[in-house]
Amino acid sequence: MRNEWILDKNHLSYWLRQLRKERELVGPLLNGGKDIVFRTVEQIHEIVLDLPASLPSPKEFLLPQYEPMLRLDIPSGEPGLHYRAQPVSPDACVKGSRAGRVYDLAERRRRIVFGVRPCDVSAVRLLDRFFLEGYRDPYYEQRRMNTLMVTIACNNPDPTCFCIGLGTGPYLDGGFDIQLTDLGNRYFVQAASAEGVRTVKASSFLFRRPGKADHDDQYEVILSAKARFRKRISLESPRGMILAGRIKDDFWQRVAARCFECGGCVYECPLCTCFTVTDRRYHGGIERARLWDTCLFKGFTRMAGGVLPNEKRMLRTKRWYYHKLIHYPEVLGGFGCVGCGRCTLTCPGKIDMAAIATAMKGLDLDGATAVAGKGRQVGIGEVMRRPKPEETGAGTEGEG
Amino acid sequence: MKRKGRENVYLPLSADVEEVIPLTPETSLFRVRPEAAIEYSPGQFFMVSLWGAGEVPISVASLGGGDGPLELCIRRAGLVTGALHGLEAGDTVWLRGPYGNGFPLDLSRGRDVVVVAGGIGMAPLRPLILWFLENPGAAGRVTLLYGAKRPEEIVFREEMDGWRERGVDVLLTVDTPAKGWEGRTGLVTALWQDVRSDLQKAVAYICGPDVMIRAAMGELFLLGMPEERIITTLEAHMKCGVGKCGHCYAGPRYICTDGPVFSYREIRSHSHFLTG
Repeated sequence: MRNEWILDKNHLSYWLRQLRKERELVGPLLNGGKDIVFRTVEQIHEIVLDLPASLPSPKEFLLPQYEPMLRLDIPSGEPGLHYRAQPVSPDACVKGSRAGRVYDLAERRRRIVFGVRPCDVSAVRLLDRFFLEGYRDPYYEQRRMNTLMVTIACNNPDPTCFCIGLGTGPYLDGGFDIQLTDLGNRYFVQAASAEGVRTVKASSFLFRRPGKADHDDQYEVILSAKARFRKRISLESPRGMILAGRIKDDFWQRVAARCFECGGCVYECPLCTCFTVTDRRYHGGIERARLWDTCLFKGFTRMAGGVLPNEKRMLRTKRWYYHKLIHYPEVLGGFGCVGCGRCTLTCPGKIDMAAIATAMKGLDLDGATAVAGKGRQVGIGEVMRRPKPEETGAGTEGEG
Repeated sequence: MKRKGRENVYLPLSADVEEVIPLTPETSLFRVRPEAAIEYSPGQFFMVSLWGAGEVPISVASLGGGDGPLELCIRRAGLVTGALHGLEAGDTVWLRGPYGNGFPLDLSRGRDVVVVAGGIGMAPLRPLILWFLENPGAAGRVTLLYGAKRPEEIVFREEMDGWRERGVDVLLTVDTPAKGWEGRTGLVTALWQDVRSDLQKAVAYICGPDVMIRAAMGELFLLGMPEERIITTLEAHMKCGVGKCGHCYAGPRYICTDGPVFSYREIRSHSHFLTG
């Protein structure tokens, strides 16, 4: 028997209340303005479904913007920067410390994230490879093990979405915990992970087995969702153009000229993972924490003594795209982009992934001109039409 | 060497500082004893930290093996290294590691070796030389070409005299000579003709400032040394040491886990490795 069920929509909130008994329930909520954010759900009726993508992506539940990692407690008062060993008895040691107690702050809260998009789940599959292969990242691992994701297939993709060209949505064949497809008055429920199956079976009285009509309806809904995509973007062709050497540095110069270095794309991207580590002192101890960082910032690679290997903005912009288009597929087997469209929503310079892929398509062979597209693509199209990078100030890097 | 168990890779061990030996005005050798014995090999590095200051990658300057202390050669260059320079014997320092691939030691068997170092770039190459000295069959003739800005910035100068007595050709050069300096003046890459080995058949291990590494690798290649036998170790800003934080990402590689030791062949295939 396949792991497929039907859930009557009237039973959804009851099911979520059941789930909430075991885990913290997180779902897409409308915050004060118009943004969709994933937050702990207090009132189940406040969950909003079938609205645009959340900002940021639910990666924040696996890699939070600020994550405490370790804490050193000092028995006697506030330590200085030049921390000296404290005379404590050996049995006060935890985690291999003679000088103070070191605590592992890895979060182990059981959590269910409801209403995740298929593209974001596709991203998590790559994050799993990244964080758990080679050296295992214990903080990611703990959160991942304790997080169950319930995906809702996208029947109404946003105008910015292009997962369809990448195979990362709007509906997945596997790799999720639980996937719901909205069939109007009921959900078609599929479970792919052991924990997903267990979770559905724990409330089996709410579900029934699907019949032929349910399968037919699901098939129809998926087909109609796939027909609704406005963006048809393949990343294979930009990748091919880069590998063929057809994208010259002057292209990246003009892209970089429009980069505000705000880091918005990186923070919203479900596949950007870079972090920095910082120590924060507070009364009685020191906390070592990690927080999101971005390769687009000039100081990202700064070494002791002030050497900046990636001083040119062009190199940083290029590196971001190379990482996603060239190196991600080489190392992890998939593009570093799932077509969620968040960078399109966020980028003030309109040099998001979709715009760049489209702009590359419009390049002629020597990479000097571009065909201006419609709508958003005009932004990058304007840049591409400028004859010389000097006019845009790209070559001079107006930063001190 | 990779610890793939369930323990937390970010959790440092404490180590007692046994001795701090000033080498130059800005560089000191820290002899530390970790709370548990750690095995490591030349070319690997540790994430060294002080709580409240932060963590930095520091290559091992000692050979390891036996029960001697772990030695770290640290130049005062920034916040964390500045704080480390405030330490004295009896203080505690914290370590994670070792990380990185280390030098390929088999490459030099039966071949002459040229070690090219600039400034504090001597630190990761010192255990390599000690290894050659302790294992006579590991390499043929060993030549050290070492360059520093000024004579007083030469690290391990007395130790080099001992190496010379044990058969290593040590050639020193400085950019700016001082009174009484009897060695050479100029770039380390001007010393090739003084190497008594056939460079085309030798192996080179290089570490120093970026420009020096680039110049030395390029010149050795032009002199006929095969690119897979021109070896260097790169430095980068790192926050994790285990391939996750992204700071040392270069091309499809991470300097921390795929390196820091690379051959010229690997570096040439990825333009991102050396900057500029």
